[in-house]
Amino acid sequence: MKAVVLSVKGFIIRFFVRHYTKILSLAAFLLLWQLVITVFGIKQFIIPSPLATFSTLFVPEIAQRYNWLLHIRTTVSEVLISFAVTAASGIFVALLITWSKALRRIITPVLTLLNSLPKIAFAPLFLIWFGYGLVPNVIIAVLIAFFPVVINTATGLSAVEEDLLDLVRYLHASKPQIFLKIRIPNSLPYIFSGLKISTTLCVVGAIVGEFVASASGLGYLLKDAQAMIDSPPMFASLILISIFGLSLFAAISILERLAMPWQDRVKES
Amino acid sequence: MRQPIRQEPRGIGKALKRHYPSVLVVFVLFLVWQAAVWVFSIPEYVLPSPITSLGHLFVRQPDAFYNWKLQISTTVSEVLISFAVTAAAGILLAILIAWSQWLRNLIMPFFIFVNSLPLIAIAPIILLWFGYGLFTNILIAFLVSFFPVIINTTTGLGEVDDDLIDLVRYLKASKWQIFLKIRIPNSLPYIFSGLKIASTMCVVGAIVGEFVASDRGLGYIVINSQFTMDTPPIFAALIVVSLLGVALFGFVSLVERIAMPWRQSETLAV
Repeated sequence: MKAVVLSVKGFIIRFFVRHYTKILSLAAFLLLWQLVITVFGIKQFIIPSPLATFSTLFVPEIAQRYNWLLHIRTTVSEVLISFAVTAASGIFVALLITWSKALRRIITPVLTLLNSLPKIAFAPLFLIWFGYGLVPNVIIAVLIAFFPVVINTATGLSAVEEDLLDLVRYLHASKPQIFLKIRIPNSLPYIFSGLKISTTLCVVGAIVGEFVASASGLGYLLKDAQAMIDSPPMFASLILISIFGLSLFAAISILERLAMPWQDRVKES
Repeated sequence: MRQPIRQEPRGIGKALKRHYPSVLVVFVLFLVWQAAVWVFSIPEYVLPSPITSLGHLFVRQPDAFYNWKLQISTTVSEVLISFAVTAAAGILLAILIAWSQWLRNLIMPFFIFVNSLPLIAIAPIILLWFGYGLFTNILIAFLVSFFPVIINTTTGLGEVDDDLIDLVRYLKASKWQIFLKIRIPNSLPYIFSGLKIASTMCVVGAIVGEFVASDRGLGYIVINSQFTMDTPPIFAALIVVSLLGVALFGFVSLVERIAMPWRQSETLAV
C-alpha cells in the first residue's frame, strides 16, 4: 500500500519536474489574461476574464444554468464513436487497397476526389437525411477524419523495402504472412500519425455538426451563447473542447509508444 | 537520323491524361446519381437529381434569395482573399521565424500546439467580436488555414543539408544569399504542400463562417435551404463549393509545377 502511495507521489513529482515549463507558462498566461482584463477594463462580453470563464464551470449556481454534463457527454460520445469508426474503417480500407490491385484501381480515384472536396460543407445534408442528434454529427466527423487515416496507412503499408519483400518471397512467405509480419508492423508509425491527425478532425467535425444543427453538445452551447452575447461559457466551452482534443491526441501518443516500444529505443540511440 | 523523343501530351491533354481516373469517377458518379433518382424515384427533398440541382443554377429563380451570382461571388471572394492573405502572411512570417534559430525554437512549439487544436470552434467568438460579414468569414478562413502554411514553410526552410550550408559559408555566402539561393528553393515543396492544405481549409473556413452566421454566400444558401428542406439549391451550392475547392487546389498544383520544373522531370523519370 505504501509503495503504491509512494509511486503515485513519485509519478506526480516526476510529472511536475518534466513539464514544469509548460505548467509555469500556463499559469503565467492565465495571470496575464486576468491582469489585462482588469487593468484595461475590457468588457466581459468581448473577452471574459479567466475567473469569469472558470466560474461558469465550477461555481455551482452559475454552472447549473448551462447543463455542462449533458453537453460534454454529447460531444465526447460523438467524438469517441466517430474516432473509433474512423480508425477501424480507415485502416480496413487501406488494407483493402494495398491487398488488391484491382480494388486499388477502383477505389483510389474515388478517394482522391472525395479527399479534395471541402467535406464539411456537406454537413447540412446529413442533417436532412438523418435528422438531429448523434448520427449526423458522427457521420460528418468520420467523413472529414477518414482520409488522413486511409492515406497514411496505405502509404505505410506500401513503404516497404523491395529487397526485404524479395527475400521473404524467396523464403516462400504467403501474402497474409507478408502483411502480418512486414507490412503492418512497418506501417504502424504511419497509422499512428494518421490517427493523431484524425483526433483533431473528429473534434472539428462533431463541433461543426453541432453548429449546423443540434440540441446539445459544446458546439451547440457555443452557438447558443453567442446568440445571447454570453461570452464566458463560450470561452469555457472552447477550453473544454481544446482539453478534450488534446487528451485524445495524448491517448493516441501513449498507445503509439505501447504499440511500438522499439521506436523509443530508436530515438534514444 | 535521330529519333524524335516521344512527346508527352501537353497542356489540357496532359492534364486529362493525368487526371482521367478522377474525371471518369465524377462522370460515373453523376450518371449513377441520375439513374438512381429515376429508377428508384427518390423524392426530391431526399435527393434531387443532378440535372435538377444544376438546373437550379442556370434557370432564373423567382426567389430573390437565390441570386446565384451574388452568393457565388461572395464565397469566391472570401476564399480568394483569405487564401492570398494566408499564403503571404504564412510565408513571410515563416521566413522571419526561420531567420533566427532562437525565435524558431521559441515559437514553433506554440504554433504546432495551436495547430493541433480544433480551431474552427472559435468561429462563434470571431462573430461575436466582428459581427456578420465578409471580414469575419475571411478571418475564420485565415485562422484555420494559416498554421499549416507557416509550420510547413518554417520546416522546409530549416531542412537544409548542413554540409551544403557549411560549404557556402566557407565560400563567404551572406545570410541573405543562403536564404535566397538555398533555403527558399529548398523549402518550395514544403510551401506548396502547405498551400495545398490551405486551399481546402480556406474553403472550409469560409463555408463554416457562413454556416455560423452570415447573410449571403454559398454556405448561407446551404443552411437556409436546409431549414426549408429545399434540396436542389443545396446540391447546386455544394457542387459549386466543391468546384471552387478543386479549382484552387488545381491552381496551386499548377503553380507548383511551374515554380519547380525540376520536380516534374523527376516524376517523369519514375
